[in-house]
Amino acid sequence: MQRDVASFAFAPAVKVRLISAGFLTAKDIRDLRPTELSKEAGISQQEALEVLQEVRRGPAEQGAAESRLTALELLEREQALCTVITFCSALDQALGGGVPMGKTTEICGAPGVGKTQLCIQLAVDAQIPGCFGGMGGQAVYIDTEGSFLVERAVDVATAAVQHCTLITKDTEQREALQSFTVETVLSQLFLFRCHDYVELLAQTHLLPDFLSQHPKVRLVVIDSIAFPFRHSFEDLSLRTRLLNGLAQQLIQIASQHSVAVVLTNQMTTRIGQNQSMLVPALGESWGHAATQRLILHWEGKHRFASLYKSPSQREATVPYQITPLGFRDVQLPDPSVTPADPSPTPGRYSRKRPRGEEGDPSDA
Amino acid sequence: MANKKLRRTGMLPELCDRLDRHQIKTCQDFLSLGPLELMREAGQSYQQVQTLLHTVSLACAPTMVTALELRDRQSHVFFPTSLRGLDAVLHGGLASGTLTEITGPSGCGKSQFCMMLSVLATLPRTMGGLDSSVLYIDTESAFCAERLVEIAQNRFPKYFSLQERVVEMAQKIHLFRELTCQNVLKRLGGLEEEIISKKAGLVIIDSIASVVRKEFDTSIPGNLSERSSLLSQEAATLKYLAEEFSIPVVLTNQITTHLSRKGTAPSHLECNVPEGKESPVSADGESGYVTAALGNTWSHSVNTRLIVQYLDSQRRQIIVAKSPIAPFSVFNYTVQNSGLELEDGENQAGSSHQGTDPGLQPIRVRTAFNYCLTHTTPTSSHSTGVH
Repeated sequence: MQRDVASFAFAPAVKVRLISAGFLTAKDIRDLRPTELSKEAGISQQEALEVLQEVRRGPAEQGAAESRLTALELLEREQALCTVITFCSALDQALGGGVPMGKTTEICGAPGVGKTQLCIQLAVDAQIPGCFGGMGGQAVYIDTEGSFLVERAVDVATAAVQHCTLITKDTEQREALQSFTVETVLSQLFLFRCHDYVELLAQTHLLPDFLSQHPKVRLVVIDSIAFPFRHSFEDLSLRTRLLNGLAQQLIQIASQHSVAVVLTNQMTTRIGQNQSMLVPALGESWGHAATQRLILHWEGKHRFASLYKSPSQREATVPYQITPLGFRDVQLPDPSVTPADPSPTPGRYSRKRPRGEEGDPSDA
Repeated sequence: MANKKLRRTGMLPELCDRLDRHQIKTCQDFLSLGPLELMREAGQSYQQVQTLLHTVSLACAPTMVTALELRDRQSHVFFPTSLRGLDAVLHGGLASGTLTEITGPSGCGKSQFCMMLSVLATLPRTMGGLDSSVLYIDTESAFCAERLVEIAQNRFPKYFSLQERVVEMAQKIHLFRELTCQNVLKRLGGLEEEIISKKAGLVIIDSIASVVRKEFDTSIPGNLSERSSLLSQEAATLKYLAEEFSIPVVLTNQITTHLSRKGTAPSHLECNVPEGKESPVSADGESGYVTAALGNTWSHSVNTRLIVQYLDSQRRQIIVAKSPIAPFSVFNYTVQNSGLELEDGENQAGSSHQGTDPGLQPIRVRTAFNYCLTHTTPTSSHSTGVH
């Protein structure tokens, strides 16, 4: 344990005094008594005690517990993690079952394309009971734009509950349905309204504690992470630094508490040589922050979702639509069903169970 | 709560003094720094800095509310616009606590719509109003008090037959004329106090685009981002006011020509293609079409976008282009003595699950100026001819 004194997390003044008194490595300090250390280094006895406690802690306690895993252990862990379905089977397939837990997913898109709608759908879907293919968890929704309207959440929740009621087959599902009602869905959706980036930073600092107190939370949505950072920032380097810090914290939260973190981003206009294009906002370095990136865009009258960055899935583009029931597949015109019929056909949506179990075959 | 002083967060006073000397006075200053800088400035160890961050975060983080509580609080009132088809699609009307934008070419009826909404807001709740006063910020001098009275008396003839009611309604509408960006910002800054003192239930800004476009020439580099930043700031202030007081905020916007490469202009939108008129094509193959002004960032900032456009010489259309609740819908209307009137029946273009990017939606402008040589003599200055 030849660790340098300078690398410990002591207060700067204490560090300076220790080094100038000649204590350069941990070995020099370890065997002293607090009173001796305080006299030699000229620090108070309380500080000396804290220094000794820090130095004597074994390497396993110094926060290195998480970092060593074999790939086999990681594989087992990954298979145990579920995904949050989106109710659009094409998108679920492209994402490998849905939005993954333990990772951060970024959703970019032009205004009005459906980012908030997808977020509301995910917040409801995270609460679908396990026997229907969901996770039976709670959801945290951090709103920075004010686009969360509770009436819309009521519509989406009602449609999801009705869908599950239609496909109930056995007693286990019927029992689960007792606790899956619109009221319970709404009561397990935790909302935070952040008006600026300071409140967002503060809330992210407090999120680990909140998640420890509410261990059933499986989804954290931040809609949107771009809006508070796009104004009143003259110093762009400060913005980059804060965003990077935020991204790191969110990745840590995602993996430590096994939640799926979803961030929404906006688009900005970049002036090219002779045309302007829409690219995701917040700069190039932000592109590295999220593990997965989904871009929602318009092609003419239709909406498409493209998976642009993913460590395990390949790039794909799928169509989707927003209906009064929420985020859905584009229903191809079926001659037996009139176009005005909004009810979802049972069995059309693949109900993704955790990997390793037999899932229902999705529609061909 | 970003400006909360550190002294009030429960931090030790000596620590607050020490941070004060380094110009760290509010929660915003504290949270904008990284842990190493905080260790240096506060003279604390890493663990202690984490505890301090926790304390400061607790002081300025928002409180949690579940969706169920939000629904039961019923603080979300929808303000009916009295255009029945539009209200039905919007779940009741303009949502309070959000920004609604009305954009379109000149002369289409945006200011008329705003004046009509002002009248509606002053009506008692039994008649579908908000029973409150209105703050109207006018940057184009388009507000006409006579027209306001005309709309009121024609739309609700029985209610406004008494002169006192007209006077009462007119007294509840507070007009502010601002002609520069600085003045608009200052007015927005003081709006909170106005809302409280005058018990306002509706804020209208007509229009937010004119001052900004006058003062920011986007061809000069740097101006575009500065303009976007200013607009985002205004949007954030307005959103805060809308939510804090649970009132709807209505803004109007202008139009601009969007130049794109030939073939990428969305000309295949059936209900919006100009009859027989192609978009102007310039010499090097670029075609342009008209769309909402103020750019893409602004399209993100508003919650609802209503586009008004011309259909033919008499009729106009109102399109719900962006809404968190409503699908893409189109309604036909005309402007009359009593304000806007929707056409009912089969002429409605209807709603669909498709739509377009509300920032790129082409808007049809007036293609011909029909000088109204009709045989009905106009009885007021705003008659729009026969139909």
